[in-house]
Amino acid sequence: MQLISRTVRTMVFLLGVCLVSAAGALAQDGLKPLVDGLGATAFPQKVEAVKQLAATGDPKVPEILDKLSAGALFAPKTGGAVYLVEGGVVSDPVTGAPVEGVAAGSLQKIRLNNMLRGAIGDAMSQLTLLSPDRNARLSAAQALLASGDTENLALLDGALAKEADAEVKAAMESARAVLILKTDASAQDKKAAIENVAARGDRGALNILTAALATAPPELVPVIQGRIDGIASSLAVWDVVQNVWYGLSLGSVLLLAAIGLAITFGVMGVINMAHGEMVMLGAYTTYVVQQTVASLAPGLSTFSLAFAVPIAFLFTGLVGVAIERGIIRFLYGRPLETLLATWGLSLILQQTIRSIFGPTNRQVDNPSWMSGTFDLGGLAITWNRMWIIAFSLAVFLALLTLLKRSRLGLQMRAVTQNRRMASSMGIRTPMVDAMTFGLGSGIAGIAGVALSQIDNVSPNLGQNYIIDSFMVVVFGGVGNLWGTFVGAMTLGIANKFLEPYAGAVLGKILILVLIILFIQRRPRGLFALKGRSIE
Amino acid sequence: MSFKSHTLSAFLAGALATTAFSAVNAADDTIKVGVLHSLSGTMAISETTLKDAMLMLIDEQNKKGGVLGKKLEAVVVDPASDWPLFAEKARELISVDKVAAVFGCWTSSSRKSVLPVFEELNSILFYPVQYEGEESSRNIFYTGAAPNQQAIPAVDYLMANEGVERFVLEGTDYVYPRTTNKILEAYLLSKGVAKEDIIVNYTPFGFSDWQTEVAKIKEFGSAGKKTAVVSTINGDANVPFYKELGNQGIKATDIPVVAFSVGEEELAGLDTKPLVGHLAAWNYFQSVDAPANAEFIKEWHAYTKNDKRVTNDPMEAAYIGFNAWVKAVEAAGTTDTDAVLDTIIGTSVPNLSGGYATVMPNHHITKPVLIGEIQGDGQFEIVQQTPQVVGDEWSDYLPDSKDLISDWRKPMSCGNFNVATGKCGGKGS
Amino acid sequence: MFTTRLIHAHEKKVLALAALILVIAIAVPASNLLLDPGNVLHVPSHVVPLFGKYLCYALLALALDLVWGYCGILSLGHGAFFALGGYAMGMYLMRQIGARGVYANPVLPDFMVFLNWKALPWHWTGFDHFGFAALMVVLVPGVLAFVFGWFAFRSRVTGVYLSIITQAMTYALLLAFFRNEMGFGGNNGLTDFKDIIGFNIQAPETRATLFALTGVVLALALLLSSAIVQSKYGKVLIGVRDAESRTRFLGYRVENMKLFIFTFSAMLAGIAGALYVPQVGIINPGEFAPANSIEVVIWTAVGGRGTLIGPIIGAVLVNFGKSIFTAAFPEFWLFALGALFVATTLFLPKGIVGTLQQGFASRRDHKAAAEAEKGRTVPAREPVDAQPQAAE
Repeated sequence: MQLISRTVRTMVFLLGVCLVSAAGALAQDGLKPLVDGLGATAFPQKVEAVKQLAATGDPKVPEILDKLSAGALFAPKTGGAVYLVEGGVVSDPVTGAPVEGVAAGSLQKIRLNNMLRGAIGDAMSQLTLLSPDRNARLSAAQALLASGDTENLALLDGALAKEADAEVKAAMESARAVLILKTDASAQDKKAAIENVAARGDRGALNILTAALATAPPELVPVIQGRIDGIASSLAVWDVVQNVWYGLSLGSVLLLAAIGLAITFGVMGVINMAHGEMVMLGAYTTYVVQQTVASLAPGLSTFSLAFAVPIAFLFTGLVGVAIERGIIRFLYGRPLETLLATWGLSLILQQTIRSIFGPTNRQVDNPSWMSGTFDLGGLAITWNRMWIIAFSLAVFLALLTLLKRSRLGLQMRAVTQNRRMASSMGIRTPMVDAMTFGLGSGIAGIAGVALSQIDNVSPNLGQNYIIDSFMVVVFGGVGNLWGTFVGAMTLGIANKFLEPYAGAVLGKILILVLIILFIQRRPRGLFALKGRSIE
Repeated sequence: MSFKSHTLSAFLAGALATTAFSAVNAADDTIKVGVLHSLSGTMAISETTLKDAMLMLIDEQNKKGGVLGKKLEAVVVDPASDWPLFAEKARELISVDKVAAVFGCWTSSSRKSVLPVFEELNSILFYPVQYEGEESSRNIFYTGAAPNQQAIPAVDYLMANEGVERFVLEGTDYVYPRTTNKILEAYLLSKGVAKEDIIVNYTPFGFSDWQTEVAKIKEFGSAGKKTAVVSTINGDANVPFYKELGNQGIKATDIPVVAFSVGEEELAGLDTKPLVGHLAAWNYFQSVDAPANAEFIKEWHAYTKNDKRVTNDPMEAAYIGFNAWVKAVEAAGTTDTDAVLDTIIGTSVPNLSGGYATVMPNHHITKPVLIGEIQGDGQFEIVQQTPQVVGDEWSDYLPDSKDLISDWRKPMSCGNFNVATGKCGGKGS
Repeated sequence: MFTTRLIHAHEKKVLALAALILVIAIAVPASNLLLDPGNVLHVPSHVVPLFGKYLCYALLALALDLVWGYCGILSLGHGAFFALGGYAMGMYLMRQIGARGVYANPVLPDFMVFLNWKALPWHWTGFDHFGFAALMVVLVPGVLAFVFGWFAFRSRVTGVYLSIITQAMTYALLLAFFRNEMGFGGNNGLTDFKDIIGFNIQAPETRATLFALTGVVLALALLLSSAIVQSKYGKVLIGVRDAESRTRFLGYRVENMKLFIFTFSAMLAGIAGALYVPQVGIINPGEFAPANSIEVVIWTAVGGRGTLIGPIIGAVLVNFGKSIFTAAFPEFWLFALGALFVATTLFLPKGIVGTLQQGFASRRDHKAAAEAEKGRTVPAREPVDAQPQAAE
């Protein structure tokens, strides 16, 4: 079989050479005509050319394909001979020798599309399967698995025979198993392959097995079916866990958004409609910090988020103190009026940001340590969600400690419980008020740092969270931090369990209706404050 | 109209003050042009740019000597993303400011809201955004793409060049995605795509938690057939959607996403490196290689004093609409609505991709369709460009609209002529 | 019962404002239709629906003031009742289009045709009759308010909890009406109306009539509201606002009193919405947005809550300002609006009318005013909030 495949390849190669030679291109190397095939105008022809190039197995091909991916290969607009253009110098892509008489301006970059990118990837994996670099071999094996192209079977067999590294070997085995299932190999081989695939136990394996079911010999059907059922039932369990995870992650976002409000609204009783704008200010602070770090110390860019957290806290905290001193302090005892004033304030803040930064989204980068996914059993966990959950928990615990254990926290609780008494005890209540509002605002700012990682950084950012934040605080019980925590997580998880069945829109409506009904049962939220003082 | 009426109550004097506000400074040697784009509220993110683009175009035209020997004067108002306010402001522009034409609106809701006003007061609106079609008003020119100028060529491209056999139609729950997906579904079925290979999914406006939806796409896409997502997700929800795609590791080579509402402006808020290869279909990209485009970009950078500001498709549509209006006014020798409506049909003006855009009798224009792939720098690499396509206001893939055509030339002068019954007015009664 | 009291029970100021509204309701349309456009007294055609809109908002603000200013229920969901009334009217107007839609379907509105609907959904039944639609304008908001209030007030949901669940209600309705499956036209809503009871909706005469009608309805609502708050029931209502528990201990059924005023107010809001739709020509889910309901609260606060005149003045002034500013300073009007709200709360805590009244009162009789003030507004008005609670 290997022999046949080789023969076919050689024939294709020869055919390619003949065709291009017939077209009159004078090649100084056997590769050149094939490379010129990349200059074709239609994508399917380019894909064919890449396949032919890969089939030659020539050591120069990976380098040429790299140049193609990097956009350094050029051809005339109407198609034809391919040149390498780098730094305005036109040269031959195969030999690297400069080419005279061809102006770079008359050429056009060879365009890539996804199909071509895929073909290049496949070709590279075929060519690097025997590479001395272990990681290159590993990713080549994984790519072959994903491509599922049975023509590579022979190649894999060859590579497997030489492979020494256990992990790479396992990857190759998996790839081979997937390919085997697509061929008409013996039942024996197929059975081993089924076991290999089934051992992966993920959704990809399920799909491969389902596809194999159709072409499997009759005696293997029950085996495959059994494996499919096994994987499906374990996946069903993992799906539930995955949903809980999504729910926790949504809950942690809600918690972050609401926790600042739990201070300004929950503890102080200010109906703070400008809370969302504090979150927005935090997100814009992140943007400014990121820009500043990138221009002052580009090396520290990956850590700009770490700088942004304290800066956002201080900045929005100061804005909060200013708001409290300038407006809110005149309104204590008239909480509904704070609604009016803070609503006006939120309009002003939004428009200010719009005037300064423009109405469009600003780009806040995800640092590399917050990108990508990892698997935990059957769970696919994205790093950024993972960090946001951790971060929101940290913020929550820090806040709890601050209120319970610190002197400032004690004073805050004293002032909000009985202002006159606290004042008589010598607490400077105006200062404590300002600090409390500043703290709530600062925490909102920190939430903005986290939200800038998953949402738009635009002047409307705050508006998207303000209603949800109020729902969370009220659902959990005003004035109770634990209530906010449990409320956020409950709403997050409930939402994620409803979403797959009801759809995103209906799911959200249902949640709102549930909140309304819940408040009927417990008119003061999940964790109501007990005692007479509330009446 | 005057300020001197002391006889009226303060209440009514106030009323007159509104009406007289801009009229006080009215001079007869200018032609007024209305700019009706939201500068605040949820749509400001998209529409503010168009307001700037219009002001630039008007500025440029004045440098060239204006129109009919008069300078143009822009009247900018803020309808604040509030649809009834759009109607109110449109009425004010037409009856108080006496503008010759209005350039504005973004969402279909805002256009639907002002449509009766423009028809009643007989003025002209140029609407520069891609939309769901199924409309042709005597007083509106649709310079953005109809579904056949964007959505259908995009899925054609996916099938021909990416070998896609399975489609996820993912959209925000409103009329444009609903209609576009209805059309696409019918079109895909007619092309032999199996019913179970298409899923349609909707999310609310401003949706930000995409974990479940993206996981669902991933699952649907791992069934062995090449799968693509056709996204009609609107504005705000796009950034979190793409961020989630990037984070869940969905690469364009696995499951490409082709979007109809994501342009350079939307990408400006994103790190596009994880998104390279995802697609968008428009009639213009900033990366178009044409002298007219280079000139336009240069002017834009100079006007905004910011050489990082991007250009996008609705800006090109505004450019075409404005130039077509100028040309039609010059041809008619007047800004009178009826005269302009007559002369503008058949008017050809250069577009920014090196060709010409012609205003068709159905008040839509001819456009080439460009498919672009997202690049690491937030720009698009154009991978395909079709010849000019005529905007089809009544889709051939919806049962009730396939017999309708629109032709505003005399003697037909009808926006919904039924070719089956030979009567104007839908099915004919 | 009310009619006999109508004349003498009212405050003079309320009577004066009602009379003024009636005069405007007649004068503006008359001037628009009868006077020559060159005349200085002529009201231009585009001003008529604009002021009609302000009057609808005034009616909505009045409705909110009844529950907020007189009963202490801060509803952040009154926009929902307004929008429901508007939708009921909009559905009637849609059905009036008949076969004049672009697809000339005699039964289905255009948006249903191109989304491939085959039959009219059940909830559209009956809306081709004006009488039925008019009934729904008050019934739908009324029933919703009744059911919502019945549960909420019996469960003794009060204060911010009540405010937030009214907000949840309007937010849920917003999302629901956005959904195209609901059959209300999705985000585009209902628009492009042609006729109302046989009259062309774009004709100046129809507009003038609608304006006059709105004025008359507003004046009547003002008188009716005044009669309610002047009645014995109204006095008890203020008792509920200022000291709910005490009123309950005195033997009043607080739930029922709240339920009545809440339902009545929702019906007024529904009527306001129904008058609004034909004048602005569109109704869409945007009206359900929580921000809209908050704005109504703000108009009321700016004008002066707890006075019947205040919300009317507030609604007209704020919206009038918005109309001017959005055209005159399109880039900066939000600063002006925001500053207005902040300034009102800081410097005019009782709103414009409240502050003026206070000013007059103190000039007339210092002592009496102080006395009245003590009895009316002091600490118990928001007992829950007066003493903010601690984090637990």
